Amino acid sequence: MNTLLRLTVANIRSLVRDRAALFWTFFFPVMFVFLFGWIFGGNSDTKVAIGFVDQDNGSQVSVALQKAFSQVTLLTIQTGSLDAEEAAMQHGDISAIVVVPSGTGAAVAAKSATSIQLYTDPSQSQTSQVVEQIADQIVGASNLQIAGGTAVVGIQPMTLASTNISTVAYLVPSILAMALMQLGVFAAIPLVQQREKGILKRIGATPLARWKLVGSNVLMRLMVAIVDAVVILGIGLIFFNVQIVGNLLAAAGLVLLGAGAFLAIGFALASFLKTEEQATGVVQVVQMPMMFLSGIFFSFDFLPGFLQTVARFMPLTYLADALRQVMVNGTQVAPLGVDVAILTGWLVVCLGIAARSFRWE
Amino acid sequence: MTQSGEPVIGVANLCKCYGDVKAVDGVSFQVARGEVFGMLGPNGAGKTTTIEILEGLREPDSGSVTVFGMDVTRHAPSIKQRIGVQLQTVSLYPRLTVTELLDLFGSFYAHHLPTKQLVDAVDLGERAKARSMNLSGGQQQRLSIALALVNDPELIFLDEPTTGLDPQARRSLWDLVKGLQAQGKSILMTTHYMEEAAELCDRVAIMDHGHILEMGTVPELIGRRFKERAVFFDTSLKLPSAQLGKLEGVTRAAQEDGQTVLYSRDVAGTIGALLALTDSLGVEPKNLGIRQATLEDVFLDLTGRALRD
Repeated sequence: MNTLLRLTVANIRSLVRDRAALFWTFFFPVMFVFLFGWIFGGNSDTKVAIGFVDQDNGSQVSVALQKAFSQVTLLTIQTGSLDAEEAAMQHGDISAIVVVPSGTGAAVAAKSATSIQLYTDPSQSQTSQVVEQIADQIVGASNLQIAGGTAVVGIQPMTLASTNISTVAYLVPSILAMALMQLGVFAAIPLVQQREKGILKRIGATPLARWKLVGSNVLMRLMVAIVDAVVILGIGLIFFNVQIVGNLLAAAGLVLLGAGAFLAIGFALASFLKTEEQATGVVQVVQMPMMFLSGIFFSFDFLPGFLQTVARFMPLTYLADALRQVMVNGTQVAPLGVDVAILTGWLVVCLGIAARSFRWE
Repeated sequence: MTQSGEPVIGVANLCKCYGDVKAVDGVSFQVARGEVFGMLGPNGAGKTTTIEILEGLREPDSGSVTVFGMDVTRHAPSIKQRIGVQLQTVSLYPRLTVTELLDLFGSFYAHHLPTKQLVDAVDLGERAKARSMNLSGGQQQRLSIALALVNDPELIFLDEPTTGLDPQARRSLWDLVKGLQAQGKSILMTTHYMEEAAELCDRVAIMDHGHILEMGTVPELIGRRFKERAVFFDTSLKLPSAQLGKLEGVTRAAQEDGQTVLYSRDVAGTIGALLALTDSLGVEPKNLGIRQATLEDVFLDLTGRALRD
């Protein structure tokens, strides 16, 4: 087996056999997901507001559909133009939009296939599912009336991001960002420990190339990052029904970039810290403020102005923001491109510092 | 040990400074193939710095350092394939087992011995599945030696292999080192313990303040400084020191550790004269004894202080 893989396995074994490290890497973030999921997870709205857009000029079909939707007790209906309703949904006033396109009535009369459009926000999965089921039943019933069961009218699903993503949907990617931050920054501690105990020096006396030693460490942490992501997102999905709406590859890329940037910060810290006690203290001083100020547990907007300025210097702000944008269509603190650029900047600068200043003994 | 063939280690005029401190200041020595060479000295004498330069862990400031005839500054990677290193550090990856650590270290080398053989060689068979953090001090030290043997090295560096061990563990480690020597390995070791050097080393170098003060076999070092043997007795007996110095055969009288020590070229004559003197004073010397000078005496004489001060 390749030396790099063997070292990585050694690192993974060391992590898995270290209860304290396991707690911080896995159980700590998981605990937060459950804690905040339960606090904020209760859905208090009993009624779902939807918009109804008639582009078919009051045809028989559109009047019948509007009547059918308004008879559902769970729903409250408002009508308006598509632009107005989209704006309302983006603003969070309504959760879905039903659009009857022009020509629907004529198509139904000719018994040729046509469809209505249903806008939902997949990140609001519970509400979206309810609306989709209702629409399915209504359209199915209409088909029965019109054509004796032949599916003349179909539903064309559309997605539209709404502003007010649920608190849990906000929290899940944020807590993942926090876990990645801790995973990276905490990497400083075992490194300083290994240097202090002379383990790095002992390995330096073997023919092993140093990059493999560092590489195995990075590889192990990146694997843990992926596991962390799967565990946290899985819990969000299974227990709190938080759906990931974005591109999974982009999400995985962000997880790796984020873990990489914070690992670089961990390595840079390890370059300046001499003892394990020092490392433990400094790592806490670095990670605690980020954990509370970077918009993990509550939105960035709730911070007073000067703290917002402080938070704008913290890399975690941008990782959490990017993950929310990609995973649940969260509103942005900065455009995704800026988030990625800032994280890449931290990665490159800290890696440079570590490469220049890291001491093996 | 005869010094034939090409030496495995050649050090000439080695210097290494840390800031203003000259850690190693003009050290020269050679180690022959199959020889056990010991470096003795107090902390800060420059032993560890010298060893770490030989292992390729530090750059020398000046001087020439060769291992297997190759310059260590230029051929470190190929030298590292052929040497075994035991550092003062004991614990490596505390949560890995003995077997896992040996497998891992074996993978660092182009050629390595089977893990089972190494475990048996250092008598850790019963602890092979134990995590290294749970080993006793002596077992950890044996593991650390097994790790140094993983690539079947021709030359082994042992840096204070028995420091902190109880006498029994130290004995078992000595047997291990003797076994390696019997296999024809060359060994460079440092130690605080004189009896360890006397027991294991073919030749020793005594170092202090970055210099080698004296070098040779243990009998040579003792013989070079001490032609005399020592007659000693409890100092509680008050005797005029002027008279002691003039007793037959005595070259020097000293007070050491609550004892009066007479260095003598003629032990029988000295004891006769001493007893005659105490008789005439009506007293009797307590705990009277004779001993050879030891490496400890050589060190004391060279540096003016005991080794473990």
